Parts: sequence; structure tokens; C-alpha cells
Amino acid sequence: MSTDADDGTVREIGHDEFDPVGTAALIVVYFIILVVMWVFMYFVEFLGRGPTVVG
Amino acid sequence: MEVHRFEKIWTAAALLLIVGFISTIVYGAVGPGVTMVEDDGGTTDQADVSAALADELDWSQVENFEAPTPKAQHVSGDKYEAYVVTKQFAFQPGTGQPLRVPAGSTVTLYVTSPDVLHGFEMVGTNVNLIIMPGQISEITVEFDEPGTYSMVCSEYCGAAHHVMEGRVEVVPQSQFDSTEG
Repeated sequence: MSTDADDGTVREIGHDEFDPVGTAALIVVYFIILVVMWVFMYFVEFLGRGPTVVG
Repeated sequence: MEVHRFEKIWTAAALLLIVGFISTIVYGAVGPGVTMVEDDGGTTDQADVSAALADELDWSQVENFEAPTPKAQHVSGDKYEAYVVTKQFAFQPGTGQPLRVPAGSTVTLYVTSPDVLHGFEMVGTNVNLIIMPGQISEITVEFDEPGTYSMVCSEYCGAAHHVMEGRVEVVPQSQFDSTEG
């Protein structure tokens, strides 16, 4: 990629310097929702409610 | 290959999630003892079941199946068993009289059909069987709390399939013991 001032590039950074913190935060939030929903569905709704099929 | 720090964290978290999913299911199987329904209910003669329902044959002559009674039969300790017939378009017991089981018990249900394919589903629970003529579907269920469940036919069985329903009543042990049947 050209670094000429006239192509609109303000600053060029390397692969490791690019940190999409906002995207990561969003994924963390999704991840937490997923874990909470799994725990609720499995332990509260599935195991917590009878009757239980044991055979 | 160069992998970004965030991607490494994500990969580790995703793997941890999968391990977590599997662990919870293993816990469910080992702890509370949740299992799949097996096919070890055996077979019977559908013509005999049909004849016994019509009082032309005694239930004792029906192979591998006993008379369907509204009250679950005591086996030992907190173990009970119940025989249910699904037919066009009723559960016996269930539709005319509810199937009655005590709370805090482990009940093995044996279900068969004299006519066509039916389903045996306790609404809102994991108790759901396919009932085939000539086959006995077997399921063992723990009933902890008293309550009433609807049973519905979950497989299309004919013109009145949508009205084929019944009830399972889970009653306190003392009340169960004092009822006839």
C-alpha cells in the first residue's frame, strides 16, 4: 500500500498493532450472554424441572 | 502464520466453551442420571392387545404387557410401573381417567398401541415416546413434585388426532395410597 499523503492514508500500522477493542468487547458481551443462557437452559430449565427421564 | 493476540484469546475461549458444554452434559448424565430412551421395551401381539381392550381376552394372556390401570402399580421401594395403551383416539388410562402416580417416585411406563402409530408426550417435559403397534415403548421417569401434566398424541394418527389427549396426575404419596385401583 502506498504511503503517499495524497491517497488519504493518515497512519499505517502493522498486524499486531491493530486492536479492534470495540469488536472484542462486543464479542465478550455475546459470549457472556451465551454462557448465562446455557447455564439457565441446562441447569434451571432442563435439570431443575421435573419429571426427569432416567431410563 | 501470524495469529493476532485477540484471535488466540478467542480460540481459547471457544474451546473452553465446547469443553464446558460437554462437561455440563456429562454432569447431567452422571449426577442427576439423565439418559436416552432405549429400545428394550420388547414386543407384543397387537391383535391380543386389541382383543384384551375389547374384553375378549384376559390381559394375563397378552405377551409382555399388563392391564392398563389408572393407578401406577407398586414394584419396590419408590419404584412403580404403569401400563398405558394409546389407541384411536384416546389414552387408556389418561383420557377417561387420569394416570395417577405418587410424587417422589420413579415410574417405568410401558406403552403400546393396538391400531396405528401414536405418540405419548407429556406436554412441557422431556417425556415423549413414539408408540408403534406390536412394540412396547419403555421409559423410566422420576416424578419429584406433585402436579398435573397433559398427555397428547405427538404423532399423527388419524382424523381425530388433534383431540387425542389425557392427563397424568402426580399426587402426594399419602393421597396416592388412599385412592382405589
